[in-house]
Amino acid sequence: MGSPLHKSTSGPGTAVLEKPEMADLSPEMKLVRDALFRHVGKPLPRKEDGRLITGKGRFSDDFSLPGQTFAAMVRSPYPHARILGIDTAEALASPGVLAVLTGADLLADGLEPIPHNPVPSTKFDVKLTAAGGGIPFTGPHYLLPADKARHVGEAVAVVVAETAAQAADAAEKVFVDYEELPHVTETKKAAQPGAPAVWDEVPDNVFIDSSFGDEAGTAAAFAAADHVVTAEFHIGRVTAVPIEPRSSLGHFDEETGRYTLYAGSGGAVRQKGELSKVLGIEPKNLRVLSYDVGGNFGARNRVYVEFGLVLWASKKIGRPVKYTATRSEAFLTDYQGRDLITKVELALDREGKFLAMRADNLSNVGGRCVSLSPLSKGSGLITGSYHIPVATLRARAVFTNTMCTQAYRSSGRPEVTYAIERLVEKAARELGFDKLELRRKNLVSPDMMPYTNAVGSIYDSGEYEKNMDRALELANWDGFEVRHEEAASRGKLLGRGFANYVESSIGSPKERAEIEIKQDGTVEVVIGTQPSGQGHETSFAQVVADMIQVPVEKVWIILGDTDIVSVGGGSHSGRSMRHAGTVMAMASADLLKEGRRRAAEHFGADFDAIDFESGHFKLRGTNQTIDIFTLGDLTREKDGPLRVARDNEMHTPVFPNGAAICEVEVDPETGHVLITSYATVDDVGRCINPLIVHGQTHGGIAQGVGQAMWELCAVDASSGQPLAGSFMDYGMPRSDNMPSFKCEIAEVISPTNPLGIKAGGEGGTTPALATVVNAVLDALKDYGVTDIDMPVTPHAVWRAIHQSKGERDARAS
Amino acid sequence: MYETTYHRPGTLQEAVSLFSKVEEAAYLSGGHTLIPTMKGRLAAPAHLIDVRRIPELSGITVGPDRIIVGAATTHATVAASEKIRALIPSLCGLAGSIGDVQVRHVGTIGGSVANNDPAADYPSAVLALDATLHTDRRSIPASEYFAGLYTTMLEPGEILVRIEFKMPEIAGYAKFRNPASRYALAAAFVARHRDGNIHVAITGAGNAGVFRWTEAEEALQARFEPDAVKGLLPDENDLMGDMHAPADYRAHLVGVVTRRAVENLGGTLIE
Ligand SMILES: Cc1cc2nc3c(=O)[nH]c(=O)nc-3n(C[C@H](O)[C@H](O)[C@H](O)COP(=O)(O)OP(=O)(O)OC[C@H]3O[C@@H](n4cnc5c(N)ncnc54)[C@H](O)[C@@H]3O)c2cc1C
Repeated sequence: MGSPLHKSTSGPGTAVLEKPEMADLSPEMKLVRDALFRHVGKPLPRKEDGRLITGKGRFSDDFSLPGQTFAAMVRSPYPHARILGIDTAEALASPGVLAVLTGADLLADGLEPIPHNPVPSTKFDVKLTAAGGGIPFTGPHYLLPADKARHVGEAVAVVVAETAAQAADAAEKVFVDYEELPHVTETKKAAQPGAPAVWDEVPDNVFIDSSFGDEAGTAAAFAAADHVVTAEFHIGRVTAVPIEPRSSLGHFDEETGRYTLYAGSGGAVRQKGELSKVLGIEPKNLRVLSYDVGGNFGARNRVYVEFGLVLWASKKIGRPVKYTATRSEAFLTDYQGRDLITKVELALDREGKFLAMRADNLSNVGGRCVSLSPLSKGSGLITGSYHIPVATLRARAVFTNTMCTQAYRSSGRPEVTYAIERLVEKAARELGFDKLELRRKNLVSPDMMPYTNAVGSIYDSGEYEKNMDRALELANWDGFEVRHEEAASRGKLLGRGFANYVESSIGSPKERAEIEIKQDGTVEVVIGTQPSGQGHETSFAQVVADMIQVPVEKVWIILGDTDIVSVGGGSHSGRSMRHAGTVMAMASADLLKEGRRRAAEHFGADFDAIDFESGHFKLRGTNQTIDIFTLGDLTREKDGPLRVARDNEMHTPVFPNGAAICEVEVDPETGHVLITSYATVDDVGRCINPLIVHGQTHGGIAQGVGQAMWELCAVDASSGQPLAGSFMDYGMPRSDNMPSFKCEIAEVISPTNPLGIKAGGEGGTTPALATVVNAVLDALKDYGVTDIDMPVTPHAVWRAIHQSKGERDARAS
Repeated sequence: MYETTYHRPGTLQEAVSLFSKVEEAAYLSGGHTLIPTMKGRLAAPAHLIDVRRIPELSGITVGPDRIIVGAATTHATVAASEKIRALIPSLCGLAGSIGDVQVRHVGTIGGSVANNDPAADYPSAVLALDATLHTDRRSIPASEYFAGLYTTMLEPGEILVRIEFKMPEIAGYAKFRNPASRYALAAAFVARHRDGNIHVAITGAGNAGVFRWTEAEEALQARFEPDAVKGLLPDENDLMGDMHAPADYRAHLVGVVTRRAVENLGGTLIE
């Protein structure tokens, strides 16, 4: 069991879950569990907010070093061009310029490509391979390419100068001799025969081609089915738009031979590991600091070329080098998200039971492959919240002359949720089923949990129909007709959309926690996750405070400096609370055990005679007690600080799930769409801090709705030029175009980890795309509109109305 | 941004003579168009001459049949002006619909009208209200002022000082916004003047910038009712097209906003 997606799975049905990694309960662990929920579950206000809103945050560009210099990038204006030569003379002669470095210099210095390791590799990830099963070619990612530029905006040289303005001025004087090459930017075109090759090594651009599931069984089920419904969707390209543009400050210290990098990211430990490989140095010779991060959403998880460039340049010129992206550079070269074409087919019997499914997914990774997480994550969830006995999936990835894609909030899951939820609606519409009834009939039920889906993912727990019912209540689904009529009286079309979702959270398996009782009466917790607004300083402190029974104000979370935090998987895939929470629980138990040992010695008693209660160690049967801080002080000299370090690995994924409903009001005259209400139910497993989880859900909804309604990294296919390079053309969700959300948390405890946590950061986003588009199509149903592409801008809606009107008129005449 | 030198003259004379003395100068008002353009390295004036301290450029005065607004008046000031609201409420509504709070408190009417962005709001009011543009050296009627995208009849170094709006009998403004930038995809300022003439000025849509839509004016002249313009569309060939709105959609929107402006006379409708 627990088999990854292989050709032969044991088929869907109830599975045996691997045991939680720490099921055996020591007395301390029991204590920890029993004590756990004093703060947990309470909406404590965030500890970090005071600091952040009074300007005391430490974002990357806030750091400066004496003598620092500034870097500016020379970026390719072409989507695809061979670099024949680079003339740096005029730039080098410009005021303040200290160095101009190119891809050729980089090769001469022996720098290595960034080891992105893009193919997901836990045993729960789908195994993506090249066609025929080989190791895929993913395109080496040098800090600067020496051969070709593969997308507009790719950095081909770096200029370092005394001031940022001098660097920017001189960058315009670097003359690159380009030979323009034919290019391809569109996902589907790139996979077609005869498309220009982005890499000579992969002449057809398709570098991943894997199939999963039971092909014969699926074919047989389709042949025997009463109905088959098919659809094709493109989930377009978007970008994360963090408030803080990416920034890095690199410093090489001649004396110690060590590099230091200040760069906000999704996890400093990964940056340290990969950048030390790029530079060819021992990891211990690189320190990475990542403190406050102004938005990530996946875009900052992977190493950026500029982070390596400031380190390399710093060594070359002997001074610190800083680079901060402009907003235009962020639009052009932040790692982008989504961009999947999916062809899906559903087989049904006469009663509407789902019999089988096929999916053909094509992911656009851009000019080189940084991550296959989106393709892989989505692949395991193509059947969504439904019991579909057999399924097959073909998963392909293709290079194009565009910026690289990466995991973006809820990597891969909104894409496949969009596909299955729109496909189910289409089936209901075409075959005459009620769209909710059709869903109910096919949902995975609680008694099937843990449930193995047709492509091998094991859903840990969940009450999907209950989520549906509650969401319908929250949204007052049954009151729709009245609202619909009222809108109609104003000439508006009201539509309602529904989507179920299930998603997976795996994430990097290792995490380490260190807890120390400090002399100043505080508790210090060192952990390797990296928040970018998720409130870890609060929710993690809550967990530790509960377990060792001290006031939450006394607990301080230390993150983001690789000299202090040695192991840590960073923050992505909704892993942080689950991984950090679990390892913090284990470390707390260790700490209490060590405390009991010291208390026993202190009282001259037996280890077993010591109890722990309300932050005090007690000698049983007496009124002798000692609190944990005093014990730490009294034993510091002899035993050292009261301190533990604990490592943990957890591989078993969890499956957050829920349902979302939205209502939209469409102005048929202009195509304008207004979201009038939005309700969700999210099963996050155990909820540590509902205030923070709700905040995450609200942000997640806005991000999903953003893609459905406004956001698109549009590229002009003929020139390869990005068209949405600023907020003038890239539409964003705003407070004035979002309704007030009605969100509820469902807590179905996960059996996979001791705290029962699933994840809460991405559920807002996952169903939003489908929910919004289903609502818009519902609003337009009287116009005969059955399909529309995202984003559903006024123009797109107006066009859909007119096209279908035109088609109807043509049919009528 | 390229290197530049900032100047802040206190008089009109000082500003004009400074402009003629230095190379590559530009006037700076709110800077909410010019500064972002410079940051994007698309403009590189070597000298910025800030006009906001020149006394003639501020103040709002009301005459019997005129409202005169100093060029350095911010959008927020116009939006909140009780004097203007009592006479041309749609002008306040228009100003209040520009950008966001920050933009409105810094951006100015003179900067907007001098810049003549084809999607900007003010040019439509200037044209529909038959304004007169007073500069440091002459007065230009609105009908002769606009000269194509981002172009006006202002000569190099000429400073826009005041804008004098003719008081209409009634006016209305309706705008349909670009979902990303929130500038107008199409907006109509409709005014019936005291002499009975009707002006319809369209912004956001024309491929040469703001324009008077004469077919709509004729239709409304015949019958000043919203449905007088029903079915009327401007020629697509005269309109802009981009990823947010191809010309055929813009033509359709022009029809819609014109009708809605007439439906909302005395007010503003922003979508
Ligand atoms: C985020 C954002 C959103 C916006 N949204 C809108 C919107 O919805 N609608 C809209 O209409 N506008 C919008 N704008 C533009 C805004 O209204 C600007 O403020 C305005 O267009 C320019 O005015 P300014 O005072 O900032 O001029 P500046 O930027 O200072 O100057 C603009 C140009 O006019 C010249 N100039 C300025 N003053 C004079 C003068 N007195 N005489 C001669 N030449 C002069 C300058 O040399 C420059 O070329 C937006 C701007 C931003 C940044």
